[in-house]
Parts: sequence; C-alpha cells; structure tokens
Amino acid sequence: MSAFLQQMINGLSIGSVYALMAVGYSLVYSIMNFSNFAHGGVIMIGAYMGFFLMTALELPFAVAFVLAAIGAGLLAVSLERIAYRPLRKRNAPFLYFIISAMGASIFLENIVVATIGPTFRTYPKVFSSTPFQFGQISVGRLDAIMFLISGISLMMLVYIIEKTKTGMAIKSTAYSIRASTLMGVNTDRIIFIVFGLGGVLAGIAGVLFGMKYTVYPQIGFITMKSFIAAVFGGLGSLPGAVIGSILLGVIETLTAGYFSSQYRDLIAFILLIAVLIWRPSGLMGKITEDKA
Amino acid sequence: MGWYYIQGILILSGIYLMAVLGLSLLTGFTGLFSFGHAGFMAVGAYTTAAMTIKFNVPFILALLIGGLAAALVSLVIGKLTLNLKGDYFCIATLGFGEAIRLILDNVQYFGGARGWPGIPLKTGLMNVIIFNVIAVVILVNLIKSRHGRNLQAIREEEMASQIIGINVFKYKMISLAISAAYAGIAGGMLAHYTGFLQPKMFQLIKSTELTIMVIFGGLGSISGSIIGAIVLTSLPEVLRAFDRWRLVVYGASVIFIMITRPQGLMGGYEITITNIKKLISRITSLGKKKHTIGGDN
Amino acid sequence: MKKRAFFLLISTVIILSLLVTGCSPKPTEPAAIDEPTEDVDVEVVNVGWIGSLTGDQAVWGNCEFNTVKMLFEEINENGGLLGKQINVIGYDTRGDAMEAVNAVRRLTSQDKIVALIGPNASGQAIAISSVLEEMKVPGIATVATNPKVTVDDNGQVKPFNFRVCFIDPYQGAVAAGYAKDVLGFTKAAILYDVADDYSQGLTEFFEMTFKEKGGEIVAKEGFKFGDVDFRPQLSKIKEANPEVLFMPYFFKEAALSANQARELGIDAVLMGGDGWPSEVLIEMAKEAIEGSYIVNHLDFADPDVQDFKATYTAKYNLPVELNGYLAYDAVRVLEQAIQNADSFDSVAIRDALKTVSVKGITGQINISADTHNPEGKDAAIIKIVDGDYIFQQKYSAE
Repeated sequence: MSAFLQQMINGLSIGSVYALMAVGYSLVYSIMNFSNFAHGGVIMIGAYMGFFLMTALELPFAVAFVLAAIGAGLLAVSLERIAYRPLRKRNAPFLYFIISAMGASIFLENIVVATIGPTFRTYPKVFSSTPFQFGQISVGRLDAIMFLISGISLMMLVYIIEKTKTGMAIKSTAYSIRASTLMGVNTDRIIFIVFGLGGVLAGIAGVLFGMKYTVYPQIGFITMKSFIAAVFGGLGSLPGAVIGSILLGVIETLTAGYFSSQYRDLIAFILLIAVLIWRPSGLMGKITEDKA
Repeated sequence: MGWYYIQGILILSGIYLMAVLGLSLLTGFTGLFSFGHAGFMAVGAYTTAAMTIKFNVPFILALLIGGLAAALVSLVIGKLTLNLKGDYFCIATLGFGEAIRLILDNVQYFGGARGWPGIPLKTGLMNVIIFNVIAVVILVNLIKSRHGRNLQAIREEEMASQIIGINVFKYKMISLAISAAYAGIAGGMLAHYTGFLQPKMFQLIKSTELTIMVIFGGLGSISGSIIGAIVLTSLPEVLRAFDRWRLVVYGASVIFIMITRPQGLMGGYEITITNIKKLISRITSLGKKKHTIGGDN
Repeated sequence: MKKRAFFLLISTVIILSLLVTGCSPKPTEPAAIDEPTEDVDVEVVNVGWIGSLTGDQAVWGNCEFNTVKMLFEEINENGGLLGKQINVIGYDTRGDAMEAVNAVRRLTSQDKIVALIGPNASGQAIAISSVLEEMKVPGIATVATNPKVTVDDNGQVKPFNFRVCFIDPYQGAVAAGYAKDVLGFTKAAILYDVADDYSQGLTEFFEMTFKEKGGEIVAKEGFKFGDVDFRPQLSKIKEANPEVLFMPYFFKEAALSANQARELGIDAVLMGGDGWPSEVLIEMAKEAIEGSYIVNHLDFADPDVQDFKATYTAKYNLPVELNGYLAYDAVRVLEQAIQNADSFDSVAIRDALKTVSVKGITGQINISADTHNPEGKDAAIIKIVDGDYIFQQKYSAE
C-alpha cells in the first residue's frame, strides 16, 4: 500500500511538472490555434537566466526567480514579433507557424550551445534536499515547493483571465479573433499579452526545472511530454492542460511501476490514441470550427 | 575537389528526397501535417534490412516490401487518427514516431538500441537517381489524375469536397499510405547506404527536417520539394565551416524563409518548360500579367 | 508579380553560390588550428576528427576536440611529426550517424586526412567504417565501446577501425565481477537507458556475468533518454530491496537518479560505468553518490593525469571529461604509429597501428592486430569518498 501511495505521489509530482509547461503552451494555442514548439526553448532560456542571475550576479533566489520569469516573458514576446507576427499579418496557415516555431526552437537551443556551451550547470542549493517523511512515504521538499509555486501561478493566471478586463478580451479573442477585432478589441495587444503570460509561465517552469534537474541546452525537450499532455486534456483549454498533465504523469508512473518501465511511453501513446478516438478534441478540448 | 564527398551528399539528398516526395503528397497536396515520418522510415528501413539479410530477398524487392510494410503500418495509424483535426493529428503522429522508436529500442532481434551492423551496402548514386526518377514520375501522374485533383480539393476545402461526394477519409488514407510507402523505401535505401541501423537515427528531428524541406520548397510543388530536399541536405554541409554556429544559422534561416516567403521557394509552381517560358516572358515584360496564387502546372 | 520573379532569381543565385562556394576547396578552415602561415616551407599534414559539437553529446565531443587540438598544438610546437606540422580538421556530427558518414567522406576525399580520430559513439563509428575502408584511411575511435566497431558480424576484424577504450562486454563483466566477488553482493538491481546503445550493452553483460557468478538480478528497470524523473522506476527497485544498484549511463542522469534514489530511501550501494566520472557529477549529487563504485579507465590521482588536467583547464577553463583522456590516448597512439611507419601514408599508418604499443594516460596501450582493441587493459575501480574519486584497485574480468 505504501508503495502505491509513493507511486501516486511520484505521479502527481511529475504531472505537476508537465502541467506548468502545458498551461503556457495551451494558453498560446487557445488564441493562435497552433502548437508553439518554441515553448521548450523559452523554458530553457528561463532556466539559464535564473542560473546566471543567481551565480554570476549573486542575486537572492526570489529576485532571480522574478527576473527570470520577466525575462522569459520578454523573450516570448520578441519571438512573437519576429517569428509569428509577419505570418499572422499574412493569414498564413498553421503549418507555417509550426515550422517557424521549430526554427526558433533549433535556433534557441544551438545559440546556447554556441555561446554558453553545452556544459551542465547546477543551481546553487536553495532548498534542502532532505525529503518530508510520512511513514514509508517521502515527498521531496523541492517537489512540494514546486507544486505550491505552480499552484499559485496557475491561480494568478486564472484570476487574470476570469476577473480582469484584459482577461475578458483574451477569452473573446480565443473564441474568435475576427469577431473580437470587430468588437473593438486590440487583438495585437491581446496576443502580445498572451505570449507575455506564456513566457512568464515558461520562465517560472524553467527556473524550477533548473533547480530540480540542472540546466543544459536540451532541457526544453521535456516539453514534448507536456504537448502530449495538453492534447490529452484538450488543446486550448487551461483546466484541460492541468488535468491532462496530472493524468499523464500518474498513468506513466503507474505503468512504469506496475507494468513495464521499458514500454512506458508506448502505453502512454496507446492511451492517448484511445482518448482521441473517444473524444477527438481531448478531454476538455475547445471545439474549433474548421479553419484549415 | 572531393567527388566522393559530393557523391555522399547527393546520395543522402536522394534518400531524403524520396521521403520528402511522399511527404509532399501528404502535406503539400492533401494538407495533412505529419511528425511521424521518421517512424515510417524506420519501419521501412528495418523491414528492408530484415528482408535482405535474413531472407536473402533481392534489394529492389526488399525495398518494395519495406515500403509496403510502412504503408500497412500507416493504414492502421491512419484509421485511428485521420479524423483528428490539425494539431491533434500532428501530435498523434509525433507520438507514433516516438512509439516506433521505443519498440525498436527494445526488440533485441534487430539489435535494440545497440543497433544493427553488417547490412550489405547496396545503395549507390545510380540506383538512388533511378528510384527517384521513377518516384517522381509516379507522383506527377498521380497528382495530375482525378485522384490527385480530389486530394487538392480536400486540401483547399475539406467540407466542400465532402459535399460534392469525395470520400475525404478514403483519400486521406490513400495519401497517407502512399507517403508512408515512399518514406519506407527511403528508409530501406538509407539502411543499405550506411550499412548500419539504430533507432536513434529516426528521432523526431528527422521528421521535422523532412517537413521543413517540403515547406521550404513550397507546398503543392513537386519541383519545390526536389529543390528543398537537395538544398536543405547540402545546407548543413555547406555550413560546416561555421562549426558550432552551424545549427544557429540553420534555425535562423528557417524562420527567415517562413517570414519572408511563407509559400516556400516555388510557392505551388512547378518547373516545367512552359513555366520557364512564362517566367522569361514575365521578366522581359515585368509586372503586366496578373497571376493567381497556387496555380500549378 | 515583379517581386516574385525577383525573389526566385535572387534565391536561385544564392543557392547556386552556396553550392559552388561550399563545394570548392577552402583555403582556410575556421575549425582548423595553427596553420603555420609564416614558414611556408614546412609541409602540413591533415588529421581529421569527428564527433558531437552540438546535440545532447556535445559536452563530451567538445572536450575531445579541445584535447585533440591542444595535443597537436603541443606536437607542432615541439617540431611536429616527421618534420611536418599537423593540422587538425574537426567536424560536428550532431551525434547523427548520417552526418558522420558525410563528414568522413569530406575529410577523406576533400581534406585528404591521413588518419581520423573519433567519433565518440559506437553508432557513428560503425556507420563510417565502410567509408574508411573505401578510402583506406584508418580511424581510431575514442569511446566507441560496442564490440562491433572493430569486428564485423562474422568475427572478422575490420581493416581500418581501431579504438583505445575497452568494450561493453568487458566493462559490464568487470562491474558484475567486482560487485559479486570483491564486494560480496548477491542481489543487484539495474536501472538503464533503453534508448542508449552504451547503456543497453553494459546492462546485458552485467546481467549475464552477475547471474553466472550466482548472483540474482532482483529488478531491471528502463527509462528513455531525455527523462529526468526516475522515481517510478526507483520506487519499484526499492521494493525489490537490492544490495547494489547498477546505473550504466551518463553522469547527468546518474546524478539525478542517485539523488532521487536517496530521496526515496534506497540505501543500496550505487555502481556506475565510465559514463560517470566528471566533476559535474560530484557537484550535482555529492551526498547521494558517496560510497559508490565506478568502473573507470584510469586513476585520476596519477601524476600524468594531473598534468594533463592542469594544462587543459588552464587553456580552456573547463573541466576535463572522460573523453578527453581517451582522446589523449588516441592522439598518442596515432603519433606513435606515424613514427613507427615513418611515413604519412594512410595504409602504412594503418599497418603500424596494428602493432602499436604506447604508454597512454589510461595505462599501457597495446593494440592487438586480431581485434584492433587495446589488449590487457585493466579497469580501474574508483570509489567516491568525500566527494572525491579514490582509486581502489586495478581489476580485470577473468
């Protein structure tokens, strides 16, 4: 029994890691209707920013954390300016956005390799690594903190979207860009804000990953899993992204723990297909009219 | 001047071209976007190698069997996922590509992750060119046929095509199966070029690169795909002098191409004798004729 | 419409010029080093290197390339080899076998190298062997540990492939032998990377040897390259209650999984292969790996090693990874072979390589003509004590 509980905790913690990434990605999807594959790159840069702010400038963790989040937000916004806006102005189909995003992702990874180098970097220790013990079950301190920070940032995001005027505009833009423009919403501004928010979330995720898993140029690859999680939950739906991520984390963990760790990803894939056959736009997907 | 080296680049371009041609049909002419083509290449590569090594099947026949195997796998995947929209289909194919790799990593019969050495070297410049010419001829004829027009109708207006009585699902399946077969043959040629197979060779990045080639050349243009495959296979080689900045330049040029010329190099046009004549006449009398976008042939 | 025609024209021109300039021989190579520009009389001979300068193996590849460049600079400063200066040309492979094939084709046909050092992975090393054979250029792999790198499927030795490291079966057997016979463990668990050839190779031979010696494998769990969380597998391993946990993969994953294992309360002794040694490992998981054992190629406290380490760190301001030591030995082996052959003819160098015997940084290296592997190279068992790599003993399987 304790082994099962331990596995559930493992699954929740892995799932919350996925969730933090999936939400930023899903947020952009809800407005732009394309998979922003550069999200992983932004996370990676966020992680490096946090690392250098803490080591080179010796800033305290909290300050570095906030600055890295803002920095990643700015990066995401500039990416939108450079790589996506020209496409948007031309009403290009979503394929082009994806390719542009992939180019950005290759670019970001390799510019880090070329300038900073491929060496793994370890964050200075901020939190003790001794876990909380509950009988046989251990919960990592960093995991608990991550869970908390992800929770708080997600709640802030929900607040922005549900309670502010900008949030209203984001929701209406997500519903239909054209209609919102006609209703007087400045969609350029909304897209700017959405990318900024997505970037800030990526920065937060980056710093937390960096602390947990060290920093290296390929750290953005973990986002592949969160894309799958977001599809699981339904693209463009924030609660879907969270639920999909937690589910994927738990399913992966249980498969590895009780079935086969060698074939874990295969089983996760079969499950994904099964969910999509049952519900073609994920568990809580946004129903989109045919735009392609 | 190293002819041997250039030959290497040409063979590799030819191998990728085969896969790109298939993908061009799927992405450029049917409007479906796949991240799993490296997976189909892997299926073809391993099947072909198994045929030549374990069953002593002649190379050409083995290639066809490899292509067929990839097509069969694609039918299963297509049946399950082709009803999905845009990104959902994308991510499903992405998952498929990774799943294939994971299976191959675990199957010790084919050497698992440690790879499969000792595959006879049978792919040369000559047969790569011949296969590609045949592949292009087949593809051009297909696209010019009624079926090809139906595919393009689906790309432009799926709903409308359904209404006028095109069996959208069936055509999507056909397109996926043919493109998977091309990828499978490409994989088989690859196996007999390097003489060694390892699941690592078929990572997601390979699928991405294939798609980038198609889009670079221009969606809905076979000549574009040919140029795309050759240019983008040679580009990293040309950029060798940039050392570790190579992929930075590559990434930046992908973005640059997308934002400056999102319709790709050829933008749906083909290089044919008539088109070249048109182009020349257009250059001589600049800006007089009005053209609509996407008109091939 | 004017724009379109114009764009087409421009892009065609760009592509053509790229192709033309790319294929014409370049007068200078940015990756090359120390081209002796002043004394024109001195002849220059090219030696090639390939490996990952980008991609997920970049840490190791960069260290290798730096080492190779540094050593040949030293050789050149001391008068070169056979009176000629050596020019190193290195190309990135991204860790991709196809890129490796192209890079070697370029090195052998265009750059006319006399010998190749690298690559640092078995997959690429096997893929390039047909090119080496066709162009009759010998290659010395640094850390390609798959037996098939130098021997083909029928057990025939490949004429132009050599290596300076020991092979997977040997390393796996050493780890299992040491765990069972010296440390006296009978219950072992394995966590390995299913998508990695090196990890699968070591796992296979560890399992085989450990069972032959009467031990029991209580758990064998896999993860996939790119994973950073191993707790599901580790929780399962914990239940099996092993005495020793074998972790045959590279140090980043080793550090993460060791930390997570300790967090979950696994107190088994950890054991790793030559993918472990690195300063980053200690930095990332100092407490977790305390008391672990590593099968290594060399004793880090050796004075020769210290000298090399100090020079390297002073030059590049980076820690030396394991590949650096093996690249060092590959250069020494090549240097000796060129001197023995007394010629820069690739085939003569190949013939000399078959019987080379040289004192390398990882021990005496005697290349065997039958296998093209270094023979009789003992593994060094290292224990991690107080965050330091402490040499235990030389140990060989059988």
